Amino acid sequence: MLSMLEILSAGAAVALMGGVLSVFVVTKRLAFVGQGVSHAAFGGFGLAVFMGLSAGTLGFYGVVLASCVVAAWGIAGIGASKKVDDDSAIGIVLVAAMSVGALLVYVRSRQPNPGIIPSWEEFLFGSVLFVSGAEAIGAWVVCAAVCGVVWWVRRKALLWAMDEEGARALGVRTGLVRALMLTLLAVAIVVSMRLVGVVLATALLILPGAIALRVSERLRVVVVVSIVSALVGTVGGLWMSLERDLLPGPSVVVVLVGMLLVAAGLRGVWPERSLDVSVDEGVQSG
Amino acid sequence: MGESAVEFDGVTYAYPGGEAVVRDVTLRVERGEVLGILGPNGGGKSTLLKLMLGLLAPDAGTIRVMGESAVEARRGGMVGYVPQLSGVNRRFPVSVRQAVVLSAGVHGREREGERVDRALELVGMAAYGRAPIGRLSGGQFQRVQIARALAVEPSVLVLDEPTVGIDVAGQQRFAALIERANRELGVTVLLVSHDVRAIASGARRCDRVACLSRTVHFHDAPDGLTPQVLADVFRHDIEGVFGGVHVEAHRAEDCPGDHAHGHDDEGGCC
Repeated sequence: MLSMLEILSAGAAVALMGGVLSVFVVTKRLAFVGQGVSHAAFGGFGLAVFMGLSAGTLGFYGVVLASCVVAAWGIAGIGASKKVDDDSAIGIVLVAAMSVGALLVYVRSRQPNPGIIPSWEEFLFGSVLFVSGAEAIGAWVVCAAVCGVVWWVRRKALLWAMDEEGARALGVRTGLVRALMLTLLAVAIVVSMRLVGVVLATALLILPGAIALRVSERLRVVVVVSIVSALVGTVGGLWMSLERDLLPGPSVVVVLVGMLLVAAGLRGVWPERSLDVSVDEGVQSG
Repeated sequence: MGESAVEFDGVTYAYPGGEAVVRDVTLRVERGEVLGILGPNGGGKSTLLKLMLGLLAPDAGTIRVMGESAVEARRGGMVGYVPQLSGVNRRFPVSVRQAVVLSAGVHGREREGERVDRALELVGMAAYGRAPIGRLSGGQFQRVQIARALAVEPSVLVLDEPTVGIDVAGQQRFAALIERANRELGVTVLLVSHDVRAIASGARRCDRVACLSRTVHFHDAPDGLTPQVLADVFRHDIEGVFGGVHVEAHRAEDCPGDHAHGHDDEGGCC
């Protein structure tokens, strides 16, 4: 079992990744996509259990990650075909993955020697106490990889998030950017789910960005506030969970929601400044 | 005659399951020209632009932009496009300058700052560089969109219904802006509109006008744009407003005089 410091360190890796991606999730309105992808993890969970893989092993994570990536690309593909709207595509993938996952776990549990089947509750709300040292190191490795890829494609990703049609007209291969960003989303969800649970993993991808956008309209400030919010919320929530013996996932989300309410309240008493630019006659109206 | 900036040769396109919205269009846009494409709603103007950008592939015919295929021209940054309906997320946390920088850097970061400054200065938004895009008025935002398109230093600038929702003063400033872009940067301009005033009048009239209603009805200097031609191009719109009137294609020998004409149910000139 890991020490509190090691658990908080693993949480910080997950938070850093979530804080960076959250800016894209919120501005590109991918929150529901994230929800769909996180629920697709149930399909992967069911398949991994059905295959007899132990929770926490590389094989187990691989199967869950594969299901999330397939779901992300499926959602993007169905939405891009324009035959089904985005919301419906996400809904279809979400219920299909959950149902298949539940059926596979049920089938496995009825076999003569089903082995140890991880509890749904751990999967739903996180099991930080059972995180291994290898998983904590793995979280930092994945975090570094995700942040590195985002930094590498940051300009095209920002343009895509701001104006997908315009980016396409400028010659950006927006389909590739979308597939890449959704894959990163899937990776972040799979890594987060061990700590905060699959359902609440998306909270880490939504709330930090939502908090940051209440605080500023400046890109650099938004990114920094999003990362800091994710770190404070995750580390604070995990510490509360360990101290008070609470479920880690809900604890993290409660802290983040509290921060969002504070940010919204501050915005209420601290209104936006007017446009502080020198206005010449040529640009005064229009 | 030198190589054209844009060439449509017998281009036809139909959306899946529908009839052709662009039919056998042949059109040549010279380098440095300002061409107005005028036509009614649903006349195929926006579709023609998407074909030119390589976002749609024609069912028949060919399109060349600066001697390249439409897709190669777009990916090579030869075309700057300002769409009719902006897909920009106005709540995206970037400043005016950052928004232009993101576009300017797509095809390389060479002289990026210089290109961005020049584009912002040209559209009169240099003073707003630090302003968040979410705080701009509609007219200001439209100018930022044009700056984003110009910052890649395109050979062809395409503007789809650029003056919709902008007041008269704003339209005059817009015309002056296009004049400057065309004169100072030498960029070829395709200006698409359903509004004849935006194309054939004002501070900067187009060099030529192409009237499009599924196919090209007229392609000449704006002086040749007579009420008869307009009646022909906007025939479906007029028939929709005046239920019993059937506007026919203009034949000079039918009705003398310089007035828009069609025929009522009894066959008389109206």
